[in-house]
Amino acid sequence: MHVIVCLDDRGGMLFHQRRQSRDRAVQSDILQMCRGEVLWMNRYSQALFSDAEGNAIRTAEDFLEQAGAGEYCFVETCASLRPYEKNIEHLILYRWNRHYPSDARLDLDPAAEGWRQIGCTEFPGHSHERITKEVYTR
Amino acid sequence: MKLIHTLFLPILLTGSLLLSGCETGGPAATSAGSFHLSEVPPFSGEPYVVLNENQPDFPEEDFTTNSFESYGPLDELGRCTTAYANIGVDLMPTEERGNIGQVKPTGWQTVKYDIVDGKYLYNRCHLIGFQLTGENANEQNLITGTRYLNVEGMLPFENLVADYVKETEHHVLYRVTPIYEGDNLVASGVQMEAQSVEDDEVCYNVYVYNCQPGIEIDYATGESWLAETAEEPSPTENTASGEERYVLNTSSKKFHKPDCSGVQSMSEANRQDYTGERDALLEQGYQPCGICKP
Repeated sequence: MHVIVCLDDRGGMLFHQRRQSRDRAVQSDILQMCRGEVLWMNRYSQALFSDAEGNAIRTAEDFLEQAGAGEYCFVETCASLRPYEKNIEHLILYRWNRHYPSDARLDLDPAAEGWRQIGCTEFPGHSHERITKEVYTR
Repeated sequence: MKLIHTLFLPILLTGSLLLSGCETGGPAATSAGSFHLSEVPPFSGEPYVVLNENQPDFPEEDFTTNSFESYGPLDELGRCTTAYANIGVDLMPTEERGNIGQVKPTGWQTVKYDIVDGKYLYNRCHLIGFQLTGENANEQNLITGTRYLNVEGMLPFENLVADYVKETEHHVLYRVTPIYEGDNLVASGVQMEAQSVEDDEVCYNVYVYNCQPGIEIDYATGESWLAETAEEPSPTENTASGEERYVLNTSSKKFHKPDCSGVQSMSEANRQDYTGERDALLEQGYQPCGICKP
């Protein structure tokens, strides 16, 4: 599976069980990237993609358990990816380039753990000056 | 047009207490609303602690889609009280930051330490950040705060609200209350509360410590010194006025010493001579030149 995560400057994902931030430019990029493929997420995240058309969005609370090879998973509320590490084909990080409060941080650091970066692009967000997209594989 | 109310929120103040370094708490009876400083644990390396399980306490009638902002009057000691707003995109700044160096909040001292990011211990800290309501030199919105409070403590919470409002065009009730021990001129910390109006995506209630790791502060006066465990010579007082000469590049937003080589090659159209405090430039978004390191 291909896992998609948004991070702040400190590797944070959540504060008080809520996403740190959102940006419609990121949502648009995800939908474009996943067009024609299965995109998994939970109900909390689905609210961001309510007007998605032409994408096969599947919703489940245990989607990381259900997702198969080659399928995309948009992860917002689970900062512990370590149990699923062996199934992750690509890790796609969207960096806000901002510092937010966080009480849940991603437990994988691909750059420090020998993952290979195969892509890095930057684009302006709607509410963020610059968003960095990094793609890692083993 | 922005609507600004004057706000009066009584803050009970009792006793004066000298706090050492990042310590706080103790038997103080200081309170603001339902929050008691005595409930706050001593600083332990994190810039904030969560209050009331992150649940803020806003009146039901304030949950409206009409933006407003209120800055409480200075108290009898000249200290800021509470700043309160319903942040909407219509309150957000449409112009660049202005100079705030003329405001001297209570307990203000111009003092530098090498161990402090940007060297200056104190910043003029907005209670409601400029990126939220565009307030510049409003003395009812600026306190003497450490660099640590400003950048590590308050800024992430401001960023969270600012980016949410910009993205959604929703509203966020937002209140910042400086917390003082007795008659201290420098706040021990600030309480920050936020709650989004149209949904539940933003919700927090935290106390942020007005401290600086490695530095001890007399909160009664603002005087400071290096903590015994830190390694650095004595603090450097700036010139009496705290003012120095710099050359600004208004295009690159860098500032230089007047004799910097970068000044020679600077376009006249972008050059601006400046005499004033360094931290005022930082607060306006200017960065120090990497060559002359002003």
